[in-house]
Amino acid sequence: MGVSAAEVRAKINEPSVFRSVQRRLFNYAGWGLCALTFLMLGGAMVWILEMVFVRGAGAINWSVLSTVTLGVGGGLLNAIEGTLVLALGGLILSVPPGIAAGIYLSEYEGGWLAPLLRFMSDVLVGVPSIVVGYFGYVTMVVGLGWQFSTAAGSIALAIISVPYITRTSEVAFRGVPRTLREAGFGLGCTPGTVIMRICMPMAMPSILTGVLLALAISVGETAPLIYTAGWSTYMWTGHLTQEPIGYLTYAIWSFITQPFATAHQLAYAAALLVTLFVLIISVIARIVTYRRSGWGQHA
Amino acid sequence: MIFGRNSVEKKHNRSYRKGVVLVLALAVAGAATAFAASQINLLETGSSLLYPLFNLWVPAFTKAHPNIRIVTNSTGSGTGISQSVAGIAQIGASDAYLSDAMTRMHPTMLSIPLAISSQMVNYNIPGLNNKHLKLNGPVLAGIYMGKITMWNDPQIAKINPGVKLPDHKIIPIHRTDGSGDTFIFSQYLSFSTPAWNNSVSFGTSISWPPVQGGLGAVGNPGMVTALTGSKYSIAYIGVSFERAIMKDGMGIAMLGNRAGNFVMLTPHTVSSAAAQMVPKTPKDERVSLIYAPGADSYPIINYEYAIVSKQQPSAQTAAALRTLFTWAISGNGGNAPHYMEAVHFAPLPPSVVRLSEAQINQIQ
Amino acid sequence: MSFKRLIAPIASLVGGALLVIIAFLGIYAWPAVKFNGLGFVTKDNWNLGSLYGNPIMRHGQLILPGAAYGILFLIVGTLLSTLIAVLLAVPLGVGSAIFLADGVPPALRTWLSFFVEMLAAVPSVVFGLWGYAAVIPLLNHTMFPWMAKHLAFIPFFAGATGSGYGLLTSGFVLTLMIVPLITATMRDALVNQPRGLREAALALGATRFETMWSVILPSTRRVLIASGILATGRALGETMAVLMVGGGALNYLPQNIYAPITTMAAFIVSQLDSAMEDPTGMAVRSLAEVALVLCVISVIVNGAARLLLYFSGYERMGGGGWA
Repeated sequence: MGVSAAEVRAKINEPSVFRSVQRRLFNYAGWGLCALTFLMLGGAMVWILEMVFVRGAGAINWSVLSTVTLGVGGGLLNAIEGTLVLALGGLILSVPPGIAAGIYLSEYEGGWLAPLLRFMSDVLVGVPSIVVGYFGYVTMVVGLGWQFSTAAGSIALAIISVPYITRTSEVAFRGVPRTLREAGFGLGCTPGTVIMRICMPMAMPSILTGVLLALAISVGETAPLIYTAGWSTYMWTGHLTQEPIGYLTYAIWSFITQPFATAHQLAYAAALLVTLFVLIISVIARIVTYRRSGWGQHA
Repeated sequence: MIFGRNSVEKKHNRSYRKGVVLVLALAVAGAATAFAASQINLLETGSSLLYPLFNLWVPAFTKAHPNIRIVTNSTGSGTGISQSVAGIAQIGASDAYLSDAMTRMHPTMLSIPLAISSQMVNYNIPGLNNKHLKLNGPVLAGIYMGKITMWNDPQIAKINPGVKLPDHKIIPIHRTDGSGDTFIFSQYLSFSTPAWNNSVSFGTSISWPPVQGGLGAVGNPGMVTALTGSKYSIAYIGVSFERAIMKDGMGIAMLGNRAGNFVMLTPHTVSSAAAQMVPKTPKDERVSLIYAPGADSYPIINYEYAIVSKQQPSAQTAAALRTLFTWAISGNGGNAPHYMEAVHFAPLPPSVVRLSEAQINQIQ
Repeated sequence: MSFKRLIAPIASLVGGALLVIIAFLGIYAWPAVKFNGLGFVTKDNWNLGSLYGNPIMRHGQLILPGAAYGILFLIVGTLLSTLIAVLLAVPLGVGSAIFLADGVPPALRTWLSFFVEMLAAVPSVVFGLWGYAAVIPLLNHTMFPWMAKHLAFIPFFAGATGSGYGLLTSGFVLTLMIVPLITATMRDALVNQPRGLREAALALGATRFETMWSVILPSTRRVLIASGILATGRALGETMAVLMVGGGALNYLPQNIYAPITTMAAFIVSQLDSAMEDPTGMAVRSLAEVALVLCVISVIVNGAARLLLYFSGYERMGGGGWA
């Protein structure tokens, strides 16, 4: 801190009632300000939740959940289905490479590939999601002629979520005790068996957390889907290309600016569903993490 | 580092390989394209002005033709044009026809009028919204060029004698997406104001002169929301949103026409303008109806186009499109009075219906 | 075949995705990079040209008459909104992290932290909805006029308050989106500082806050800088929320803190389709150049943060990985 011992001693030895009051005030003011910043964040969270839940609850009913969108009215069944299809499609594409990369980063640290992969994965997190959407639009939707489609949307989501799965998988595999691996080798197992049979089950809960995280991100994304998945008011018929598909975040973004009450209702209902879904996933992910690290022990 | 280069690796291990192969197989199966069906999917995208009408048409039409599924999208005419040209959307809805350059580059693309629309100029001035302010091309051009910045500017006062104009900054709102409304509005300014024509000209996306405080909005809905949310703002909005404008109590301006009169947007002024301009429609129907001559003519009317390729990937799709459009422009179908009145459009005159039918029949 | 060889190609897909995107942007934008030159980042002039005119040749490229592409206003809008967000988010994040690390009992800490960090889980478009439907009316009718009147002595705080859409609104919404990143990382770092540090300070008679503020907080300064940079990276690339509250300014720089802006990411969403209308393709390629510039800035920012974290020996980052 660049303070000499003599200065400290002088400060301490300086007898002053005023100084002690000043210090106590600084202490209280400091805690007060910190508590205030916390309250501001908590307040904002409460405000957002309040808006989403109060307006969403007023807009949601059984027919919203059970019928498809008609223009700017009707329900959201098509969007609910589409959101799930796109998110699951994204997971199918992102989980294998994500876990593989996580294993590689954790188990084969030597050599040139691991540091490079880790760097690229970290950079991929920083690529703005709309850039992925733009890429998908020009290459897949227009270039390959897939048109707005489940395939293009899922691939865009997979690109966005794969670095998160990579990172959590790496951390998960690193968390497996070294002694377990040594025991495996001692029994004559190959590296493949050790990783897949011994480390994988141990790492599974953490990997699942990462997968859940990727799922939450996929469900909440909008920008990469606008130009890849398009929008549809019908239920999905199973085509991977040539058929656009609906999703909830589109309903929020597109319908809130429509000057019709029915459209606003749908936007708020969609916001409620998306937020609820994402929050539930977060809570589950958090619980899985705590189960492993011990309740209340988490730092 | 656990598994370095020195670690022992046996050549074969079935169990993990099986696992990996399974995962790969799943991924491949997931990526493989699924089946095709007899269902015909049509994607309509574009004009937010045409969107409310399509939303009325689609349920009625698809009820009679259950094998045709039509997804409607309000994305702006620019999107309608670009996505139909790119083959992403089968129907590009647009308030603007294709440009000459586009037509040359994509000779298979047709611009087929489906109805006649018009545009309002709206404003949000507390206290004056129930009066119809008079505005003309040069004044609007001045506002959107940043030369007229206050509502009590002498140029506005001059054409609105007796109106107490507020001493307040004008917030001009324009569309940021490619928009047929921008196209017809900027055509109105171009045709009426040489200074605008020489510097900005017209298009679905134009280079808006920078105006401090000016707002951009997406789609007609975005324009309505921005207008109602911002006092002392002005916006140009398609007529199918008149109901929303009235509900929010916004002002509708009387516009100066070519004859120098200020006219309200009414069925009469629209049909007067149409009577002047419709006979000039060429065979490919790409024509501007803006700034019509005639004492009663409303200055901003236009054809609402479907931008369609005459070469469709399958005969079924072509047939579905022909059926849809033929129904849409028919007086017993989509151009029936109850549809037109709901969105304040005017039906196509018989001469244009014949031209449109000729174009529709080219879709193969 | 060894297991390593087997998973290496699958693992490489992660890096491959990045390479493909960067390569695509570079190749696709190249004609625009050549055509626009340096003016691309120094001029306020995004003009598709006359869409209804006939294409002309210029500098060996077919373009529309009057077409020019300069995105200074986008760069300024992006950087300013990010700057405001980071300036607000750092004190908020540090303050709440201190509070959570030492101001509440550990049992409560878990849940309070979780509650605040859930802000990071709220989707961008929901933030946009909130900003659009709840925050803008409040700012427009109450807060901005008050600020313009009473804070007019601060530069850029005076003047017309406009419509509620704009720079400060975007900054506010972005702040809340990036604060959890800082809070989570800082709280972890504060809690994990060596116990001895804290005990020594307390033993010297420092109050608890003095211990936090003068001893523990300075020892986490690298983590703070790094998490700040990471948060910056997120704010730079944020799309939907800014699109909904930014105001969509075109070709002008904001004159005060209330003025409308557009960011690069929001611009790509709102302009892609207009750009596709350009029959010469130059507009789409210029938009790819916008994406490229945005990508390069994000990559630099994120790379810097990762390097800093790497050197500070603090690997686990990003509040449980939300971004």
